[in-house]
Amino acid sequence: MLTASDSVDFDALRKDFPIFDSGPQTLHYLDSAATSQKPRCVIDAIDLCYRNQYGPVHRGLYPLAESATEAYEKARQTIENFINAPSPDEIIFTRSATEAINLVASGWARQALEAGDEIWVSQMEHHSNYLPWQRVCRDRGASLKVIPLDSSGQLDLDKADGLFGNRTRLIAITHVSNVLGIVNPVEKITRLASVNSIPVLVDAAQSVGHMPVDVQSLSCDFLVASAHKMCGPGGIGFLYGKKERLTQTEPLLLGGGMVDQVLADTSIWAEIPARFEAGSPNLAGALGFAVAAAYIEEIGRQPIAKREQELAATAFEALSEIDGVTIYGPENSPYRSGILSFNIDGIHPHDIAQIAGEHGVAIRAGHHCCQPLMRHLNTPSTARASFSFYNNKDDIAALVMAVHETKKILGS
Amino acid sequence: MNSVYKTVLLDHFHNPRNKGDLDSMDRVKRGSNPRCGDDIEVGIRAENEILESVRFRGRGCSICLASASIMSECTIGLTMRQARHLVQQMLDWFGDTISEAPSNTTLAALGAVRQHPARKKCVLLAWVALDETLEIK
Ligand SMILES: Cc1ncc(COP(=O)(O)O)c(C=O)c1O
Repeated sequence: MLTASDSVDFDALRKDFPIFDSGPQTLHYLDSAATSQKPRCVIDAIDLCYRNQYGPVHRGLYPLAESATEAYEKARQTIENFINAPSPDEIIFTRSATEAINLVASGWARQALEAGDEIWVSQMEHHSNYLPWQRVCRDRGASLKVIPLDSSGQLDLDKADGLFGNRTRLIAITHVSNVLGIVNPVEKITRLASVNSIPVLVDAAQSVGHMPVDVQSLSCDFLVASAHKMCGPGGIGFLYGKKERLTQTEPLLLGGGMVDQVLADTSIWAEIPARFEAGSPNLAGALGFAVAAAYIEEIGRQPIAKREQELAATAFEALSEIDGVTIYGPENSPYRSGILSFNIDGIHPHDIAQIAGEHGVAIRAGHHCCQPLMRHLNTPSTARASFSFYNNKDDIAALVMAVHETKKILGS
Repeated sequence: MNSVYKTVLLDHFHNPRNKGDLDSMDRVKRGSNPRCGDDIEVGIRAENEILESVRFRGRGCSICLASASIMSECTIGLTMRQARHLVQQMLDWFGDTISEAPSNTTLAALGAVRQHPARKKCVLLAWVALDETLEIK
């Protein structure tokens, strides 16, 4: 049977990533959910930017400044197309997904919330999609409500009493769990939320580079992500916001470039999106981000999703055959991306990650910035292998070997 | 690759010394690191300022537990003052203000962990808890 991922030569794509040729030992990089590796085209784009294209954005009238501005705005359009946003003005460049969520919490929710209101998150959120809401709720006398999870780790919407009720001002939910790899039913949530006109923010940090993401079919009000988790550079991410929502949002940072008129004791903000991008923009970051998006788009997110699911499913099967290994989350693959969390009986995940590291296998161990989820799983931490399309069967074999080695060294 | 999982460390992990019940201890202090879930208690019993017993219990990674076990072995029989001095040496050694291991071959087994900043805290958890038991008047 020919599957979507068969039509792409992923082993050839691995050669696009210089890091895999940079060391004496094979790097089995299974930590792409923390941050992904960078293909040559992204590295080259950043290099070229600083060599030939670098100038001030939105701040000069000479040719270099004009072309820098044009390139920056073109990058915005690339991201617009990448998530099928209706307009480039609905894309705000931020430093990261984290900053984008904080912008919505401080700039939008702070005004929208009144005492007694509710914001809903889920028990599987990353701290970056939890803490900003916790604080703004506390400050405004609102309550932070948490969608519970069922025993397999999936959202238990039936137990979330009042989720779509008339006190709810916002639902902030991750698209894909960075621990369990679960893909949440965002479209179902936005559909049910729309009955009461409840806005929904989607944390797409773990989805946007790994599966098709279309803000119009998701029908969300806000969506955030970081470039560095999708083959792009560090230090840049974005906020997508529906125009009507962005109009209700106060800027987080004030300064140059975000204002039209500064009077003695009041000022008039610039148009959207400039209003939300105070200070000199990150040109090289934006250009690198756009090239990363184009690179991923050229491969195709459908084949990428398929490939990563297949790798994770193979690893799931191999690890579940090992005595004493517990894998968290559901087995059925339609709800899973390429992220796999596990533990070995009686062995601390930090020891698994350390021994794996000594064998050239890079995995993460800890609470993954998801302490509420760790409480649900009843463990302080897990080991996590996360797959990207540039991984292969050898990486899985190395992971399995590292788990056996860990058991040999530390098992009772 | 210079593994942190040296024979001595593994021996203390697999066969921890002075681990378990703390009921007969005079003073007990807890050390925990919510970031990784290490959570241990260290207890001492002293007679005339001499540590007759140093024990621990709890859960943690192999480095944390082995370090606690090694610590108990290295401090039983010391005066409280000597023990405080040894704790300080460990803190200095892991804080890189001194590069020499405290003169004790068992402790040297923990040295490889110094190359891994994220895990220094695992080593020191028991020692900091011990320090607190020594501080109580
Ligand atoms: C689900 C999820 N949301 C948000 C973030 C935050 O991303 P960043 O640190 O790039 O802001 C992460 C990063 O780990 C994540 O996994």
